[in-house]
Amino acid sequence: MVSRWRAMLRALFHRRRFEDGLAEEVRFHLEQYTRDLIATGHSPEDAARRARIEFGSVDNVTLDCREARGLHVFDMAQQRLRYAARLLRKHPAFTATAVATVAITVGANLAIFAVVDAVLLRPLPFHEPDRLVAIYNTYPRAGVMDDGASVTNYYERRHAIAGLERVSLYRDGAAIVGETGATEREYLTRVTPEFFATLGVPFAIGRGFADADMDYGTTYRAGGVAVVTDAYWRDHLDADPHVLGRALRLDGERVEIVGVLPAGFRFLSSTRGIYLPLKSSPDERGPSARHAGSSSHMIARMRPGVTVAQVQAQLDAHNAIVERADPEAALIADTGFRSPVIPLRDVEVAAIRPTLVLLAGGVLVLLLIGAVNVTNLLLIRASSRGRELALRQAIGAHPRHVIAEVVTESLLLTCTGGLLGLGVGAAGIRLLRSLGASRLPLAADLGFDTRAALIALAASLVLGLAIAVPIAWCTLRSHAAGTLGADSRTTTANRAAQRLRHAFLVAEVALAFVLLVGSGLLALSLQRVSEVDPGFRPEQVLSGQIAMPWSSYPDDATRLTFMTRLLDGLAAQPGVVASGFSTNVPFSGNGIKAAVTVQGYVAPSGVAVHAVVPYGVRGDYFQAMGIPLIEGRLLSREDDRLDNRAIVVDQDFARFFFPRGTAIGHHLQMGTRPQPGDPVHTIVGIVGSVKQAGLASEEAPGAVYYLYDARFDNNVFVVSRTTGDTDALGTALQRLTRQIDPELPVNNLSSMSSRVDRSLVTRRSPAVLATMFAGIAVLLTAIGMYGVLGYAVALRRREVGLRMALGARPSQIRNEFVAMAARLLMSGAAVGLAGALLTGYAMRALLYRVAPINVPILLAATIVLGAVCLAACLLPSHRASRIPPTEALAES
Amino acid sequence: MGKSAELLPGTLDLLILKAVSLKPLHGYGVLLRIHQISGEALDIPQGSLYPALYRLETQGLIASEWGESENNRRAKFYTLTAPGKKRLREETEDWNRLAAAMATALRATPDEV
Repeated sequence: MVSRWRAMLRALFHRRRFEDGLAEEVRFHLEQYTRDLIATGHSPEDAARRARIEFGSVDNVTLDCREARGLHVFDMAQQRLRYAARLLRKHPAFTATAVATVAITVGANLAIFAVVDAVLLRPLPFHEPDRLVAIYNTYPRAGVMDDGASVTNYYERRHAIAGLERVSLYRDGAAIVGETGATEREYLTRVTPEFFATLGVPFAIGRGFADADMDYGTTYRAGGVAVVTDAYWRDHLDADPHVLGRALRLDGERVEIVGVLPAGFRFLSSTRGIYLPLKSSPDERGPSARHAGSSSHMIARMRPGVTVAQVQAQLDAHNAIVERADPEAALIADTGFRSPVIPLRDVEVAAIRPTLVLLAGGVLVLLLIGAVNVTNLLLIRASSRGRELALRQAIGAHPRHVIAEVVTESLLLTCTGGLLGLGVGAAGIRLLRSLGASRLPLAADLGFDTRAALIALAASLVLGLAIAVPIAWCTLRSHAAGTLGADSRTTTANRAAQRLRHAFLVAEVALAFVLLVGSGLLALSLQRVSEVDPGFRPEQVLSGQIAMPWSSYPDDATRLTFMTRLLDGLAAQPGVVASGFSTNVPFSGNGIKAAVTVQGYVAPSGVAVHAVVPYGVRGDYFQAMGIPLIEGRLLSREDDRLDNRAIVVDQDFARFFFPRGTAIGHHLQMGTRPQPGDPVHTIVGIVGSVKQAGLASEEAPGAVYYLYDARFDNNVFVVSRTTGDTDALGTALQRLTRQIDPELPVNNLSSMSSRVDRSLVTRRSPAVLATMFAGIAVLLTAIGMYGVLGYAVALRRREVGLRMALGARPSQIRNEFVAMAARLLMSGAAVGLAGALLTGYAMRALLYRVAPINVPILLAATIVLGAVCLAACLLPSHRASRIPPTEALAES
Repeated sequence: MGKSAELLPGTLDLLILKAVSLKPLHGYGVLLRIHQISGEALDIPQGSLYPALYRLETQGLIASEWGESENNRRAKFYTLTAPGKKRLREETEDWNRLAAAMATALRATPDEV
């Protein structure tokens, strides 16, 4: 078998040598034979003649030899290909339309596939990624869906879950790295010792962390050891092979590098370059901190052969045991506490999956429309060549040849389209990147690789074969019915072909209708979301993040001094209206919630804890953000001096805890079990509610605004409202900060408007894409309509001519064809309506305040599709009404 | 060439293998050799010879090489390959079995039935 292929390939690649050799061999044979014949007494002429006669036809022998070598397959293919190419060249408009259709639809699919592949399909780049899971705590009845996992969880579960081979914890953070004057804020991740082993990642240089690295030393500070990624090692440490023992300066502390991770390592979507030990104190590891929600996350590797369900059962059992000893057990149980175990990838992609699935569905529908369109155009072509094909079959062309010809032609079309589609796909991926696709989880290096290209080409092949099926069927059927003799207009075969064409057109209209409605629903949702009031006025507000390192800002005094100086500096800037600090800002992506104990509030049974969003604010935060005061007063610096600490709550908070009467004057404490001596806060004002997590977020947990020193955090946001340009103010903010502390960079600088805007990207981009798909679909449908109607007119030329001769009015003829188009359109829309209802229902999770069945959108889709398609059928219908009677009669 | 017996279908390949097993031959030589070794009884239709040679070469049973003919012309010579030798042996055995069986069958007399 191998030798056979080798011989064939050799012959194929050295075709010239093969042919020359064959010719020479035959010549030699004839000469020898002629010589031998002369030797036996024939005259030279006679000998040459006899030799040729006995040898037979040289051409036939040559042909048989080629066939013996398997070359005839290629010869035939080449011949067919040339024939098909000639046919296609003869109809440039048809060919260009078909090729462009395939190129666009395949390219669109390629681009979407690249995203789906990166985010949903490609296995995570870790050892046996299917065994990796994430475990998080959820308190659904307290309104906290994902609270990560605590340090206590980690130490308790570490060796206690039989189905887990390794358990580890990680927590994202940041630190100021570098020497004075040249500092940069670097994002980093703190991890427990088995983190890298859990992922199955070996070290390129050095080692990971040990249990001893997890303990605090004498100070509550960063310090000790660090692991860096390959990228960080190359970019910041000159790829030094002797890097072990070198130190980084982190928040002013020396940290020794003990390991370098291998090239290509990336934890999910993280681009963080530095890994530190996740240190904790004995208190943080104790039972009282079990539900402390330390913004850390747990990942684990299951033992081989263990299922997620088994681990879940073991974990539930373990939770039940440790909770039994918890004094707050009842409280925790009331919140609906559980620790779900889910595959690691799902954590990252859960939010985006429905959107991607929807887009993938949409783009596949587009491909289907394209395929149907090309099929219909080819069908029309095949029908108009019916006589020619029938004639050829009558004089001996085998059905196999007809099929081969049809397949060759459609393959040539789809493969050319597919090749061009690669270019369209590359452009599409660039477009997707600009629409924010590369910011999707796991999609950091979105691009198209050989694999995607090969899949696209393979898909083009399959498409070509699929398209060929109905065309071959129609062609052969028309032969069986004997088109040759009969009038081609009236045979059943032609009626069957026409039904098929019309059915395809109806399908096309239906699919386009579904796409139109789907994109309409998305666009309307987007509009509704962007009309939502965020609760503050984001225009012309600058925000930036500053992390004050513990080493230089260990206490209230240092922090407050810095903040006061910065606020004073900002106030002196031209155009600045108000500035303030806050431990968090809406739309920052940080979703911290904390439980509070409200005095005098008795929870209804079953709801023991209600987590609220805590802020620690300083300066004119509310004025800067434009959050309106509803009742009472705002916080002022005077409040610092009072024993009774003042706080402001929002309307959601007031409504939840004090549905009757005012919230003002009531007291609350942080946490679920306040100790005697813990500060008691007094509500002095109520402000408007702010959308914390996003415009479309329906949850209204309520917010509490503490004074900054009551709920301090070294990580703060500074916000500043200006009448001028926010970009210019950003530069000024950075300068002012460096003037106060040369080590302090300002990060995450962004106007609040663009934060709000960015939060819409996961809605806007799908809506934009869906609209593009729908637009292409409508265009393709119009082309399909034009083609089908045009052909119907051509088929009935004679009949129309006759009727014109008998006195039919042109308008009558025209209306007849328009009516036919309208019938097809309405059937398509009817089928599409059913599809659109199903689609709307399937995508309702992605809709915002838009019902899956939206009558105005359905109407609009019908009108758009109707208008475009009727416009497309006007030209052929008009042409029909202009058929001169004489010409039609003369034709036969 | 003189009067000759009809070639049975399927025997051409076997004859070619046999012919080139004796000595490397060019195409015309194969023709002559088969004529010769069959006691001048078998004549191959010339048109079928070359397709058969190409088929056998494609199957890897024979190999070819350009060389010089006895009268110093460039010619393509065919030799038997190892798989070809094996095939020749098998087919020869098959043929002998068949021929013996045919002979026995045709010798049968009414008494033996």
